[in-house]
Parts: sequence; structure tokens; C-alpha cells
Amino acid sequence: MKFSDLLSMSVNNLRRRKLRTFLTVLGVLIGTASIVVMVSLGIGFNELTMEQIASYGSLTEVSVYSNAMWGGNESSKDPNYMTDDVIAQFERIDHVDAASPLLETSVLMTQGAYQAYINLVGVSQSYMKNIPLKEGRIPEPGNRDLQMIVGNMVARNFSNPKSNRYGFYDDSSSIPDIDFINRPMFVIFDMDAYYQSQNGGTGEGGTTVKPPKKYLIPTAGLVEGGAEDWNNYSYSVYVDLDALKAQLKQIFKKKPIPNQPTNKKGKPYNYFIYQQAIVEVDDMNNVTAVQKAITDMGFQANSNMEWLEQSQKQAKMVQALLGGIGAVSLFVAAIGIANTMMMSIYERTKEIGILKVLGCDMNNIRNMFLLESGFIGFLGGITGILFSYGVSFLINRFLSGRFMSNMPGDLSRIPPWLSLTAVGFAIFVGMAAGFFPALRAMKLSPLAAIRNE
Amino acid sequence: MTEKKSPMIQVKNLYKVYKVGNSKVYALNGVDFTIYKGEFCAIVGPSGSGKSTLLNMLAGLEKPSKGEIVIGGSHIEKLSENQLVSFRRKHVGFIFQSYNLLQTMNAVENVALPLSFRGVTKKARNEKAKEYIKLVGLEKQMKHMANEMSGGQQQRVGIARALAVDPKIIFADEPTGNLDSKTTREILNLMQKIVREQNQTLVMVTHDNYIAKFADRQFHIVDGKIFKIEEQHHEEQHHEEQQHEDTKEDMGYEEG
Repeated sequence: MKFSDLLSMSVNNLRRRKLRTFLTVLGVLIGTASIVVMVSLGIGFNELTMEQIASYGSLTEVSVYSNAMWGGNESSKDPNYMTDDVIAQFERIDHVDAASPLLETSVLMTQGAYQAYINLVGVSQSYMKNIPLKEGRIPEPGNRDLQMIVGNMVARNFSNPKSNRYGFYDDSSSIPDIDFINRPMFVIFDMDAYYQSQNGGTGEGGTTVKPPKKYLIPTAGLVEGGAEDWNNYSYSVYVDLDALKAQLKQIFKKKPIPNQPTNKKGKPYNYFIYQQAIVEVDDMNNVTAVQKAITDMGFQANSNMEWLEQSQKQAKMVQALLGGIGAVSLFVAAIGIANTMMMSIYERTKEIGILKVLGCDMNNIRNMFLLESGFIGFLGGITGILFSYGVSFLINRFLSGRFMSNMPGDLSRIPPWLSLTAVGFAIFVGMAAGFFPALRAMKLSPLAAIRNE
Repeated sequence: MTEKKSPMIQVKNLYKVYKVGNSKVYALNGVDFTIYKGEFCAIVGPSGSGKSTLLNMLAGLEKPSKGEIVIGGSHIEKLSENQLVSFRRKHVGFIFQSYNLLQTMNAVENVALPLSFRGVTKKARNEKAKEYIKLVGLEKQMKHMANEMSGGQQQRVGIARALAVDPKIIFADEPTGNLDSKTTREILNLMQKIVREQNQTLVMVTHDNYIAKFADRQFHIVDGKIFKIEEQHHEEQHHEEQQHEDTKEDMGYEEG
């Protein structure tokens, strides 16, 4: 028997009983729609969390800290410092694209009456390229003069030491008027000398300490975002790593550089030791492995991945729960299909008998019923998807803003794979529900069937 | 119809035993006969004689307890259910007492239905169906649904459906059981005509001696055994003779 003949017989049988077919399809529609809408909420929740985490910094970044930096490692002969060699080792780990050391030093910046203690960070060119800029540009590579990239919230750190206002500014209107681009910014690197000159001006040997030299450092660019929008780069000022190293060496000469550890004799090392490094991983899925490799080398490694994994786990649970609720209604719909098919077989016992006496193949009879129930599933699946898109639209239009005002973006998302899977699943459920009725029809004795009056 | 012909159905020593509680009931108790190609045979017997059981076994709807059935050279008593379905599809046409047309289809579609089981294309099978509907004289009712036709018309469609598959053999189970006397005669004449013109083999089951007389040979069956075999020589004028003596036996018939 040709497939087209089978199909037209099945469809004709469904058309004969329009109301019952409609009601059964309605059951599948509701089942499919409830699964799709529930799963779409789960997907939306998951993606929203992902987007939120991604907005706090790259998901492929691993921050590495040195344990040895803050003392405590006195007994060990060879403290585990992060040096250029170690950075090179990081870069040799599989799946690592780049490793950028961060050389942090505390400086005092002044402009007019205002001053602030700022974390000045020397970074590599590749790191600097990742900083989103509001205006300006990143300094030219190889330029030995310091040029600053200023975080969008740095201005909040400035205060007037002569007034008694210190600390945080609660609203943006009271943030001091600091202009990095157009007005000169003076930077003092030698903080010890600065304090000593402030507090009476005597040093260790009783000698008078001259106030340290102020350097005028131009600003090359500003980090994107207003004074309220926090991001990873908001509170720091970035300069080129090599330029900073050169500057520090020139200022401090043989003296220990602040923030740099000293050996047991209190002498500085003749190379720079980094407090932090950023390792770029090629893919999100490899972050955990890279992180572990770095931890095994004796460093502390953090990434957004841990957070992400946790919230993904949470999102999966939410998704499973929502999907499960939807699945219950599809299960009920499946029982409806089975019931409809059973009824249909009782009604058509005689007809099935005639078909068998006339020589209709048993497999054809089974397939006819499977097709019928599969078709119910198909219709329910298609209409269910259409219905879900409607519900999803309404949720996004009216509910998203009300409940999740802090999260922009759609709450309910139906990706194409979900629609396709849902229709496929509805067909499968229809056929599975129709399977035993179809077997029953196939096994009906033709004699008993034609005697049925 | 007595000239030498090739055997179409050979039945040898056929038994069908039902178990009712502890006792055995012999529905068929050793039946032997042969039906030749191009014959119109009637199996006649009172109800409970085993005639329907015999027909069901010939058509492969029931399995014999013992014995052989050879149709067109092949044994059918050992076939599985699937093979029997396939056997019926290829070689057997069936005419039912209650016509058994599918109510959702019109006359042409009903006749074409068994052809669709063989995978014949819609165009080819509809053409063939129309041809046979014309043969049974229903040109005007081709598009009528089953319930829009009279019993006689439905049975004609049933006959066309049995013929459309070019069967080796046609079985008819009380084909006129639901028809009035006039239509009964028409249908039986049609069946006679078809057997002659198409050289078909037709086996009819009936409880009515009068109807059985339309057949070339009658197998009288009582208590599961063949009791006698009668031969009848039909000529065209024969029908006129019989027409005035049939009223009495028609009394019990219901209209379909």
C-alpha cells in the first residue's frame, strides 16, 4: 500500500470525527505549549544570567593571584612569585591564548585642589585592547612615555583634603569636577617620600626629605560607561606595562619599589614581581581546565566560570522543574490520544475486519492507526508551537518588565531547536500513545470483525 | 458446464473441531470435494450445518483442525496469518451478506479500495473501478456514498469490488440475504452472467435451496458432511420458468 494512500485514509478517518479530533488535538496543543513555554522561561532565565555575568567581565578570563605576595611564605626558600618566566609558563598551558601580567602600584594623583590615591596598573597591550573605551585611544605600543587609560569611576576617588569631605559620593552630582583629558594631572609615585615630607619632613637618618617629584602624565583614553556604571575597569587607571616598569626603575633606582616584595635581606629583586595576571582562554569550556592547571602551579586562580557554573546548575534545575510541570500536561494529552484511538478502534472494528478480509496487509493496518495518532500529535505540536509564540510574546511584553526590571532582555525565549524538538516530540508522543491501540487493531480477527453488526 | 476443466479448489478430508467445555463439536466432519475453474458453486445447508465454517476456511479466515485445502495449486492450511492476508489480496474476491462497503467512501472508491492494498496508483485503480461499476450497471451511481444507495445497488458495488482485483476465486457469503426477492433475482442473474462472461470461479454459501438452484453445482451439507451434490444445467430461458414459483420462499427476506 502506498504511503500517500495510507495517509489519505488516516486523514479521512480523522476528518470523519471532527469534534473528537479537535478535542484530542487541543489536549496535545496545551501539553506542547505548556512544555515549550516552561522550557522557554528556563532558557530565558539561563541566558539572562549568562548575559548578566558576561557583562561583569569576560567569561574566558582567569585572574591569577600569587599566594606569596602577602607574606606568610617566610619559611619557604623560594617564594612562588609571578615573574615574566611564570607568565610565559601560563602562556604554554593548552587552550591559553594570552597571559597578561598586571603590575599594580599605588600613586597619588592631584588636580587643582583635589587629590586621590589611585591604583595604577601596568598592563600589556593585548590586555589594554580589551578595555572598552568611551573616548580617546589606547597608547601606541613601544611608546616609552606613560599615557593613562582612566576608569569611568576614578573621579569618585578624588577629594579635597582641605575640606572635611572624604570617602564616597552617594550621588553623581557631588562627584568632584575632574577632567582627565583637558586639564593637567600630576602623579606622585614615591608615596613614602611624600608622607615623610608631609609629616615634618624628616627621614630615617634624620635628614630632611625633599618632597618627591610630581610627574605630569597625559590621559590617552577614558573607559566606557558613566560614573554610575560599574565594570571591571571602573576604578583603576591603566598604563603600558613596559612604560611603567621603565618609569619605576628611573624613579626608585636602587631603592625598593613599593608593592614589590624584598628578599630576606630586605633588598629588592632585580626583576618585577606581579601581583596579578589575567589569562585569556580560547573557549569558555576550557576555562575550568586552565584554572586547575594554574592552581596546580601554586597560584590562586579565579574566574567568572565558577559563578557561571553554579548559576547554570541552578538554571538547569529551574528548567527541569518547569519542563517537568509541562511534561505532566503532555502526558495527560498522550492518555487522551490513546483513549481516542481505542474508541476509534472499537467503532471501526467491523471496518478493520473488512479491510483484513479484502487483503489489507496487517502492517498497513497498524501503520494506518499509527499515522492517525501521529497526525494528531503533529497537529497538536504545530498549533502548540504557534500558541507558545503567542504566550511567549505576551510574557515578554507584559510580565518581563514588571517582575525583572533589573534584567533587560526577554524572559521567555523559544529558539528554533526548541520548536522543532517540540513538534517532533509531539509526533512521537502521539505515535507512542497510538502504538498499543494500533497493535490491537492489527491483531483483530477478521472473522470476529465482520460478524460485528 | 461439465466439460473437463482444471481444478481450482481441492478439499481433502477436512475437519474442524470446536471444544465446548469438555465435549467436542464437529463443525466439519471429513469433507472432500473439488471445484473447477469457471464454475458457479453453491454450498447449501441449514444453519449450524458448518457451511459458513467451510467458506471461512476456504477463504483463509479460519484454520482447519485437520485436512488439506489446495487453491490454485497451493496449500493454504499451513499459511501464517500474514501469508493468508497476502493470499486473499492476490487471489480472492469477497461478497458479503451485509455488503460491507466503507461508509466514508463513494462507489468508485469502494471498488478501488482492494487495489490500493496492492499499491496500484490512484489513477489506474479508479479507471478499473469505473469499468467494473459499469459492468454491474451502476454508471449513474459512481459518486454516490454507500448510504445513498439501495441494498441492491450496494451489493452490485460489492460484486464490482470482488471482481476488480481479478481474483482466481470469488466467495459470496449469503449475498442476497438482505435483499428482497426481485433484487435477489437480479443479483443472482448478474453473478451467473459474470461467471460465464469473465470465466470466474464463484463459491456461494446459502441456506436457501431456491437460491442455490442458480448455481451450476450444489453441495448440500448437513452436520459437517457433504450429503449430496446436485448438478443443474442452466439455459437462458431457465430463469423465466423459475420466476413464477419463487414467491413462497421470499416471504422471510428483509429488505437491506
